[in-house]
Amino acid sequence: MNPPPAAPVRPARDIRVDFLRGLALWFIFITHTPGNLLAHATLRNVAFCDATEVFVLLAGYAAGIAYGRMLEREGWLAAAARLVGRMGTLYVAHIFLFVVFAAQVGFSAAALNQAAYLDELHLDPFGNEPYRALLEALLLRYQPHFLDILPLYIVVLGLFALALPLIRRPAWLLGLSVALYAVTRATGLGLPSWTGSGWFFNPFAWQLLFVIGVLLGRAEPARLLRRFPWQRGLALLAGALLLAAAASLNLVWHGPGFGVQAPEWMGAALSRVDKAALHPVRLASVLLLCWLVGHLIPRNAAWLGHPLAAVFVMMGQQGLPVFCSGIFLSFLGRLALESASGPLAQVAVNVTGLAALIAVAVVSAWYGGEAKRKLTPALPAAAAPARP
Amino acid sequence: MRAPLPRCLVLLAALLAAGAAPAQVPTAEAAACDAPEELTALPAPLAGVFAALSHTELRILVVGSASTQGGGTSGPAATWPERLAARLGAQAAPVTVRVTVFGGRGTTAADHARIIAEQGPLVRPHLVIWQLGTVEAARGLPPEEMAEEVQDAVARLRARRGERTDILLMDPQFSRFLRSNADVETYRDWLRVAAAASGAQLFSRWALMRHWVEAERIDLERAPRNRRVAVADRLHDCLAQALVRTILQGSPRPAR
Repeated sequence: MNPPPAAPVRPARDIRVDFLRGLALWFIFITHTPGNLLAHATLRNVAFCDATEVFVLLAGYAAGIAYGRMLEREGWLAAAARLVGRMGTLYVAHIFLFVVFAAQVGFSAAALNQAAYLDELHLDPFGNEPYRALLEALLLRYQPHFLDILPLYIVVLGLFALALPLIRRPAWLLGLSVALYAVTRATGLGLPSWTGSGWFFNPFAWQLLFVIGVLLGRAEPARLLRRFPWQRGLALLAGALLLAAAASLNLVWHGPGFGVQAPEWMGAALSRVDKAALHPVRLASVLLLCWLVGHLIPRNAAWLGHPLAAVFVMMGQQGLPVFCSGIFLSFLGRLALESASGPLAQVAVNVTGLAALIAVAVVSAWYGGEAKRKLTPALPAAAAPARP
Repeated sequence: MRAPLPRCLVLLAALLAAGAAPAQVPTAEAAACDAPEELTALPAPLAGVFAALSHTELRILVVGSASTQGGGTSGPAATWPERLAARLGAQAAPVTVRVTVFGGRGTTAADHARIIAEQGPLVRPHLVIWQLGTVEAARGLPPEEMAEEVQDAVARLRARRGERTDILLMDPQFSRFLRSNADVETYRDWLRVAAAASGAQLFSRWALMRHWVEAERIDLERAPRNRRVAVADRLHDCLAQALVRTILQGSPRPAR
């Protein structure tokens, strides 16, 4: 059981992935700050997918690499234990963010005269039944708006821990994943929520995107290129499809404001594309985008080394701290945009927000938050047999 | 967190000044309700309403959640459905305008659909104004299901009434609090999709109220406590005026 030296086989880290992940994390901060005008410039305005899809796909990619290696080195039990540990970290982070959220809502409610009509609606479960709300939040059955990505991630990681050995048999893993996705979509299988309507993101459907990310992360880049080569015709078709999607979405959303009514069949078609259980169109959109970006951005593109791109690469490499800080900062951003929403406030929120995210990434990378910490214990262990 | 206080006071003072002045000058009050044309315009005129206007009676069925019932106003007579009945009645005379209101606090699209199914055959409305989305957004109910309720209800109504009934969807009230704490944009997107898919039209109360807030004309959330009811009354009256403009758009009886 002496594996050959891994270094020459293993390709260098694909920093395009880190860059895109960093970008997605920035978009998540922006779209989690309602009222932020930059939100009009994010993916969701032009495509059937948004930063959530990108985040889950790339989370799968990173997990495939990290836990795949761990599985090879230390076996299923150890790798699964690490995954469970990761789930614990995410859970604690989620509960921390929930507490911040509750405090922010309380502060906002007091600062704004929202009593005028929102009180009548009994809109605030935390205000009405605080103990129950706390319990439901701990059970992940109460997920306030904008706090629904981490619970999804936790459950998907749990499923991944169970299926981990299957990453040696990609076809089996993909087959099982597609089957679960199909069953979920056909039967409405899902996890219950306090409000009685299921989770905002159904993990049993979204796991497919994560698994595709895992397989992409595990695949050898050269083989991947052979399997999904660049074809100009296909690329043009993909581009046309994505453009058509962008045009029809915007026609339906904004057409009436300009006196243009979208045809009913178009509205009816769009109304079937749900996000909760990851409609196949959304899945296809993000995979098409992934294929296009994978080919259009060369692996060693020079601009990825530019400091401007490098900060996003670094943010992507420090995924969890940057994600959590992004959500935390978005709460502060909301408070700021509630008190003022003029151009000055917009610039201030976005500049401060991005600067803080970069700072978190820099500090986390410097003291070795993500990745490094995982590698360090492994090194002495590997070196140990060499010592007399 | 004491820093925002002085700014709040300045704002309150400004609002007080702005709120007090127009109360004595009716023309200024009317101007406060002005809005860019595109916020009240529809891509197509309301055929059912026009047909009714050439006869003797225009029947409107209003269905919705809390704002149809009170919404912080001084009383039922000051809510936007009642103000709409009064303002539209004055303009549409000699045609009689009859507004019937159903709904209540915390009701969802599914409740509204049930009401429309029950009341549609009784009221035989020429126009249904369906106010929805706030409760769904606040409670995080699935937006896709909300859209489905709308599509099904409109299809049923169309099967029964054909082109004689127009449907106008109305989205949530603009509120910074709601915007911060609920994913309102998603629900507004789905309301637009539902309108497009069913052939209904959308009256964007959200965009209109946001315009009034940004123009510092009507801002319920920043109104001082003692002025809140008065501001709510004015808001509902302004909404009614905007609705009249929307409903009569392109009609032989242009909104005054």
